[in-house]
Amino acid sequence: MNQNGKVKDLLLWTFLAVILGLFVSFAFLPLLGVQPVESLKIMLTEIFSDRFTMGNILIKTTPLILTSLAFAFTYKANLYNIGAQGQFYMGCICATATTLALQTKLPGIVVLLLAFAASILGGGLTGLLIGFLKAKFNANEFLVSMMSTYVIIYLLQFLLRTVLQEPKREYLKTAYLDSSAWLPKIIPGTSVSLGIVIALATAILIWFVLYRTSLGYRVRVNGMNQDAAAMSGISPKRMCMTAFFISGAIAGLAGFTEINGMQHMLLTGFESDIGSYGIGIAIMANANPIGVIFAALLFGALQVGGTALGHSTDAPASVIDVMLGFVMLFVLMSFFVRHKLEIRKMKKQKLQKGEA
Amino acid sequence: MDEKTDFLRNRRNVCVCSCDEKRYLKFYAEGMKQAMNEPVIELKHITKRFAKVLANDDVSITIHKGEVVALLGENGAGKSTIMKILYGLYHATSGEILIDGKERKIASPKDAMSLGISMIQQHFSLVPAHTVTENIILGNCKGKIDMKAKEKEIQELARQYGFDVPAGEYIKNLSVGTQQKVEILKALYLNARILIMDEPTAVLTPQEIDTLMEFVKQYVAKGNSVVFITHKMREVMQVSDTIVVMRNGRISGMVSRSETSEHNLAHMMIGRDLEVLQQPGQEIPEDRKKRLVVEDLTIQKKDQAPALDHVSFELYEGEVLGIAGVSENGQQELCDAIYGAAPVTAGKVLLDGEDLSGLEVKDRIARGIGYTASDRYRYGMVSDMSLSENMLLKSSYLDTWVKHGLINWKALHKYTDDQIQTYAVKAPDHSVTIGSLSGGNQQKVVVAREVDMGQKLIIFDQPTRGLDLGAINYVHKTIIDQKNKGKSVLLVSTELSEIFALSDRIAVMYKGRIMGIYRNGELTTEKIGLLMAGIYPEKEEEA
Amino acid sequence: MQVFVNLIFRAFFMSTPLILGALGEVLAERTGMMVTAVEGIFLIGAWGGFIGAYLSGNMLAGFLAAMFCGLMVALLYGVTTIYMHQHQIVMGTAISILITGFCTFFYRVIFGVQTVPLKVSPLKVIKIPLLSKIPVIGPILFSQNIITYLTYILVPIIFFLIFRTSLGLSMRSCGENPEAADAAGINVTRTRFLAVAVAGCMGGIAGAYYSLCNVGMYNVEIIGGRGWIAFGICFLGNWNPVGALIFGIVFGISDALGTYVRALGNASIPSELFSALPYILVIVLTVCRKQFNVPARLGANYVKEN
Repeated sequence: MNQNGKVKDLLLWTFLAVILGLFVSFAFLPLLGVQPVESLKIMLTEIFSDRFTMGNILIKTTPLILTSLAFAFTYKANLYNIGAQGQFYMGCICATATTLALQTKLPGIVVLLLAFAASILGGGLTGLLIGFLKAKFNANEFLVSMMSTYVIIYLLQFLLRTVLQEPKREYLKTAYLDSSAWLPKIIPGTSVSLGIVIALATAILIWFVLYRTSLGYRVRVNGMNQDAAAMSGISPKRMCMTAFFISGAIAGLAGFTEINGMQHMLLTGFESDIGSYGIGIAIMANANPIGVIFAALLFGALQVGGTALGHSTDAPASVIDVMLGFVMLFVLMSFFVRHKLEIRKMKKQKLQKGEA
Repeated sequence: MDEKTDFLRNRRNVCVCSCDEKRYLKFYAEGMKQAMNEPVIELKHITKRFAKVLANDDVSITIHKGEVVALLGENGAGKSTIMKILYGLYHATSGEILIDGKERKIASPKDAMSLGISMIQQHFSLVPAHTVTENIILGNCKGKIDMKAKEKEIQELARQYGFDVPAGEYIKNLSVGTQQKVEILKALYLNARILIMDEPTAVLTPQEIDTLMEFVKQYVAKGNSVVFITHKMREVMQVSDTIVVMRNGRISGMVSRSETSEHNLAHMMIGRDLEVLQQPGQEIPEDRKKRLVVEDLTIQKKDQAPALDHVSFELYEGEVLGIAGVSENGQQELCDAIYGAAPVTAGKVLLDGEDLSGLEVKDRIARGIGYTASDRYRYGMVSDMSLSENMLLKSSYLDTWVKHGLINWKALHKYTDDQIQTYAVKAPDHSVTIGSLSGGNQQKVVVAREVDMGQKLIIFDQPTRGLDLGAINYVHKTIIDQKNKGKSVLLVSTELSEIFALSDRIAVMYKGRIMGIYRNGELTTEKIGLLMAGIYPEKEEEA
Repeated sequence: MQVFVNLIFRAFFMSTPLILGALGEVLAERTGMMVTAVEGIFLIGAWGGFIGAYLSGNMLAGFLAAMFCGLMVALLYGVTTIYMHQHQIVMGTAISILITGFCTFFYRVIFGVQTVPLKVSPLKVIKIPLLSKIPVIGPILFSQNIITYLTYILVPIIFFLIFRTSLGLSMRSCGENPEAADAAGINVTRTRFLAVAVAGCMGGIAGAYYSLCNVGMYNVEIIGGRGWIAFGICFLGNWNPVGALIFGIVFGISDALGTYVRALGNASIPSELFSALPYILVIVLTVCRKQFNVPARLGANYVKEN
């Protein structure tokens, strides 16, 4: 089977699965007395109504691209980092702490660069720790990364209650960042910051790393055939730690774009779903970094549309979660169906050859 | 000294066997008269087609009551497949199975067992974490298990057959030989009357083999039948009544043991064109450089027989050293050890005088060693990756295609396309996945890569296994070309014809040891066959 | 003293759902199936149990509803992994996400927008006559609710099932060597599927424990990773019901400790540390503890060749 045909097949089936998933989720809406067709109309018109709302899509998309890249990268190495949420918080903590400590003392651009580096390092080291535990002690990386998120959530709460708390000490949040340390807005009339550019660049960079560099190549070989990797001098343990460091760093970077680009402060329960959304988006995109951009965009649009729907009808925002859930489920099932069809096709070809 | 004891041991073995044979023949003279002509199982015109290969092509075998049938053939000849069909693990594409003269459908091992057929697979289907008793009663008990009573029952069964098996012990704590006895007990527990054994002696010590043979005799004497799947001629001559030789999925001969000889069997197994291809090895000129020196290389896991036992040899530049031997006699361990992929217990490997000890695989690759592993699917390729990507596999740390961490795909694609041309790989271009190619074409890609990786030394482990004739010729031509370019080649093969056709010198391996190294032309097929079975022919003649 | 009794009572009280969930997980993992949808199963159990109990006014109906919901999710998981060969970790994560949205959505569908959270009165404790009068032990062990009693009774029952019956032997074989089990005439896919289904039922009830026994209400954060902890307990307890019991109690204690410290409201004690304790414990124990009973083929789908 030729390569292009396969890619086309994949895109077609994924597209169908997405449509089916959306269709099924919309079919639930009448239960709330909301007409599906009507709501679709509302969503579409709201999304494209003005520049600000469209900007919101990009804002929602930014961290989703990054957290789903984080999952996708380890997935390529046949590892499971489901702790992107925690690594994201680590990135948030590091970016906020760095900015609060240095803002107004150093020029804005320097503060930004340092916060950028700090978030990457914070997330990356968290990831590396998980990778290390896996490589050294053969700890179940799936369980450890899952648990690390909860630990970091409490760490965040602790920090917000103590050293990072705002001067007034009323709420569990930090002080506002000085505007000199904000990521610049790039689209007038919206709140879209440079963060989206960073996210897109990261996606392209990750694609580049995976498919254009020897490092990414080794990660992929390790994910597809560990025995062959070891026989080619590629150490699975080293790859595990590298992949987890990079994965964590990407998730941490999302902390930077969210803190310095969007929220300008850190508070509890902040963006508490982007880790799991990221996994869903990565699955939807079959872990392809470029595919992740589009899947995240689709999801960002759904989120904005869903919120709009919630404003004008009785539909709750959780309809988005249902949509993501069903879309994921159907995409996964489409892999199975496609696989079955491919095998059937191959058998048919064999038979024809046999007869001829 | 070592040599001497070895020699003595082998001498003794020979003795034991011939005594056995005499007893055995006498025993059979009586047995045969009674029941031999009563067929228990008839396999008729069985054909089995897998997705990519034709494993059995019109195979018919009859098994009689009280008979030991040996299924002889090299790896991949289809002998296990035909028996797995009888055992219900595979389903035949066409053909029929008659049991006691009646046609039967065997859909699962459960069906086979209820018909009295049991199979002991090469890789035991035991659960290591469970006890002997638990393994034996699996699937044959109901409700609450009274473990004490069951253990007693199993212990009694073991005693009946003189097996020293602790019924309450965990399988993982038992030696391989005892594990095999557990497998046999499992069959006996189910009252099997036809016992199929797949390579039963491959992992046993000589003493354990003796016990096994004793059991086989005792068992068939009761009117049961045994099928022995093996590629070892000695065993065949020792125990069987009828010998069925398979080659490339077909039956290439069926003889009764009294009418044949090992020489004959070798011919049937390997094919007839042996002598024709044999080429005398070249003289090694005095000034030739030693490329590879292997000294006392030993691999021994704790509490196990050594997989490699003080192996030493030298390989010169521009030379092909063939390693002959029955599979699983330490060849793969030897290759892995030279390549750095297996931890070594003792000994060292020198390449151009440099000690390679402590160097990782990637460092050895960088020093110009190429290696086509025998299981290419597992170790040699990434089936979901493109041909270009597979070409890069071994050189991701080298600067051949990678500059500053960036892959030069353009150059790599061109190189891959060139290699496709040069090696006549049947593939449209560099972008298809290697998994979509046929086995022969996959191997050509792997060989193309390793030939370029191995600037000094290329290790070929079973380079032509499972290939069609065209591909085989191509690989052979490549090996000769590389030798003529001055590279050193270590060629491991179980195909004697291949060893004879390509090697300058031939080393024979048996149980992790090198039985001897000979110039090609010094050895006859018979002689090498004996060496492969662990017997020194000269010494026997002397005696 | 009273503080101590309360703390230990609470530890046993909080250990119940973890043990129950872990027991289900042990059953499934012994057959080779990691039920990675466990967090989703817990959540839908809490959700379904609350709705059932609230609408019917009957606790039994609540637990039955929870069991049914858990079963449904387990079946979805079983079909996709066992029969459609999807990756167990990917599928479980996907299902957990789906369930989160599903529960919130349908809670809204059923109850609309509520300003004050809906409540049911938590499941009553049953004081066992005489035994509950014993000082210290009485109030700790014999004044619990029915689910706790049943869970503790289940431990020896499941132990017996796994290690002393032919069914248990078949199940263990599916997890250790499915080819051998298959050859012995055991239907591997069916055994695995049933085990997952049972784990789903138990996980559903465990989830309902949080909504019906602990707080008497439902919100989407009610489980908060406890499903994963049950998953971890199964690992730490070496796939043995008794191990699950021991580690369940350990986590019960750390859970109770966290609640206690939080209730103190003393700002100088980092209560977050105590809240995070169970999760830290899982990580530390996973790393330190040698796992020696791992079902050899845990997490690997069984695809029959031919």
